Amino acid sequence: MAGKKLNVVHYLNQFFGQVGGEDKADVGFTVAEGSVGPGLALQKELGDRARVVATLICGDNFFAKNPEEAAKEGLRLIEPYRPDLFFAGPAFEAGRYGVSCGAICKAVGGKLGIPVITGMSEENPGMEMYRKDAFICKTGLSARDMLNSLQRMTKLAFRLVSGEKNMNLLSRENLPDPGEYGYFPRLILRNEYTGKTAAERSVDKLLAKINGEPFESEVMLPKREIVEPPSPIADLTQCEIALVSDGGLVPKGNPDGLSGRGNLRWTTYEIDDFLPEDFEPSDYEIAHTGYFPDEVLGNPSRLVPVDVMRDLLREGKIGKLHPTFFCTSGNATVSRRCAEMGDEIGAELMKRGVDAVIFTST
Amino acid sequence: MRLEIESIDIRDIRLSSKTHARGRVLNIHLEELEELILRDGRIKSVDIHVVYPGDRVRIMNLLDVVQPRCKIDQFEADFPGFVGRLRIAGSGRTRSLRGIALLVSNPCTKRKYSAILDMSGLAAELSRYGKMRNVSIAPYIADGIEERDFEDAVKIAGLRTAVYLAAAAEGHRPDEVEVYDLEISNLQRNSRLPRIAYYYQMYSPQHDHRGIPDPCFYGTHVRDFMPTIIHPNEVLDGGVVGHHTIRSLDTYTIQNHAVIKELYRRHGKDLIFAGVVFGVANIDPVIRKRKALMAANLIKNVLGADGVIITKIHGGMPHVDVALVGEECEKLGIKTAVYTQPLIGVGTLADTLLFNNEALNLVITVGATFERVKLPLEADGILGGTAKTKVFLADPIDQYAGDPMIDTEEMLIAGVHDHLGGANIIVKEY
Repeated sequence: MAGKKLNVVHYLNQFFGQVGGEDKADVGFTVAEGSVGPGLALQKELGDRARVVATLICGDNFFAKNPEEAAKEGLRLIEPYRPDLFFAGPAFEAGRYGVSCGAICKAVGGKLGIPVITGMSEENPGMEMYRKDAFICKTGLSARDMLNSLQRMTKLAFRLVSGEKNMNLLSRENLPDPGEYGYFPRLILRNEYTGKTAAERSVDKLLAKINGEPFESEVMLPKREIVEPPSPIADLTQCEIALVSDGGLVPKGNPDGLSGRGNLRWTTYEIDDFLPEDFEPSDYEIAHTGYFPDEVLGNPSRLVPVDVMRDLLREGKIGKLHPTFFCTSGNATVSRRCAEMGDEIGAELMKRGVDAVIFTST
Repeated sequence: MRLEIESIDIRDIRLSSKTHARGRVLNIHLEELEELILRDGRIKSVDIHVVYPGDRVRIMNLLDVVQPRCKIDQFEADFPGFVGRLRIAGSGRTRSLRGIALLVSNPCTKRKYSAILDMSGLAAELSRYGKMRNVSIAPYIADGIEERDFEDAVKIAGLRTAVYLAAAAEGHRPDEVEVYDLEISNLQRNSRLPRIAYYYQMYSPQHDHRGIPDPCFYGTHVRDFMPTIIHPNEVLDGGVVGHHTIRSLDTYTIQNHAVIKELYRRHGKDLIFAGVVFGVANIDPVIRKRKALMAANLIKNVLGADGVIITKIHGGMPHVDVALVGEECEKLGIKTAVYTQPLIGVGTLADTLLFNNEALNLVITVGATFERVKLPLEADGILGGTAKTKVFLADPIDQYAGDPMIDTEEMLIAGVHDHLGGANIIVKEY
């Protein structure tokens, strides 16, 4: 690689930063010029293409007490060094250190937009917490694997800064192969070219399955949590019911910008304004590409049953219709985000004292 | 049933005063083709162009892509129910032109989205059609014709043109003859090889435009069909065609059905190809269960299969549907391989499954069809639409065909993904 030497900043905990052992774990941030401890080996691996200009050091306990705040402080301290690359650790199996490395990588990568690389063992809790925010190289359990880990991290770093397109990906992004470069996948999925067509692969694997030979599914089954249903409503006439829907019913113009697919947001609309008895079909649109919306656009009560709820209210069969409609668009949204939105909407409904919810989908 | 497909490798397409093929060059008389297409009164006019790899041309509003093919030894037998008279497809001799495709656009479409193809740049690199020499047709709607009726007219114009082009190669020596010969009624009962069936989820009603299903099977739609046994040759030879929209599936892909061809290739060597059951994805859970039971029963007790490959049509609801077919098959002791398309680009692969049954332990990923790509193109020409034709994106963004860069999903680029297993694409965690 030609051009200017890359500036590298390296993060270490108090132990590897040579401040001290567990007794110094409460010590806050210091910045050392140049490389420290494992940073010397890192510098050796980087060669003359990059220089460790500063080392940020912090005690494990100090960082772990409030990782996000600590990460912000750390970021402020290293910004003046204008790094092109950021390394943290490796943390191996050390939990607090792993979380610190992950948090500081997230802060630095998010703010400065530079490659952030750390290393952990698979069991390190920081791996699951920060795998989507940093390139986390796979390491052994202890510092015995230091040199090997640093080599892996360096190789990955140079691949990232090269800007080289991955021609094996349909999207051609600059994304190194996780297997080849030894890092934990970052919770994104990509289409990749492979030697055999799906038809060939499926016949090969099915024959292996039938013949009792080992075969590898291309997707492992998910682990799903079991949700206990709540107890039934004792008396509907005393009950306040809210309407929630993931059918993407929004005012014309979609002012809250819900996406028709892969949407990550939810919003609320006041029923009296949004869904009056004398509604105008032209006032609505559907931010959801997964179904044919003509029926709903003709009468939004087909999706959000305010008409029936008003009847039940008049007849005294329910206590109250909650005045706010909770709206999202659920179409190929990742289940993790669906669960989060469910928690957020659920918390808001609990705060408002709603007793029950009718959730309509499409 | 025996089918012979005689393929001619076309190296070039030229315009001429007579439509014919010689020396692997297809010559087309445009006025004659135009006249053929305009015989349908639902079509007012038609644009016809020849496009080559490397052309800075963007083709919009694609409704279908068709491989030029015609029957050699049977009269009025092409695409029965659509072009030819009703009869069972899949026997006799068929001429097929390789290396070229017919791109069928509906510039008058009112659908939210249609497929696109660029003949240069990333889209051309990703698409199998981007590397071919192609004929593009774009019919325009006649006054007073209803939108859906016109879609049928465009579809049939495409099929008819495909037949016309292949018929022009009469007398040209084929480069290859493939034989698809399978007597399901007299299969090798005593073979020790495993018997593999194919479950073909052919349709999903969830995207029925204006609530009307697209015809795709001998001239009719299949929305209300029960699981049905068909001969694989019917699929390869024009009994089945694409829908009126391309979501990683078109007639070309069906004519070259990768799972069927792979099962044929290994028939008698590694397996016995036990036949095809096709079914339709269902919204209603009771109907879904009934049809899944029926499909599994046909596969087990009529076709006598030990294993089954299960492919799915695009979408989330069909994902649930194929899983239920798979579960019912596994209950009967039929080993399954279930195809899915991950519908999201984040999370782990496990996050993308809409089922969770330990029996379904072999899942094949044909491609994450919603993957986003940006397509830069300074287009010299736009066919099947104009520079102002809107390009769909699920996000609330306005973009147009003439923009120097458009943002799209791979499922809307014709010829990238293949639900029927023909693409060498796999989805990986990155």
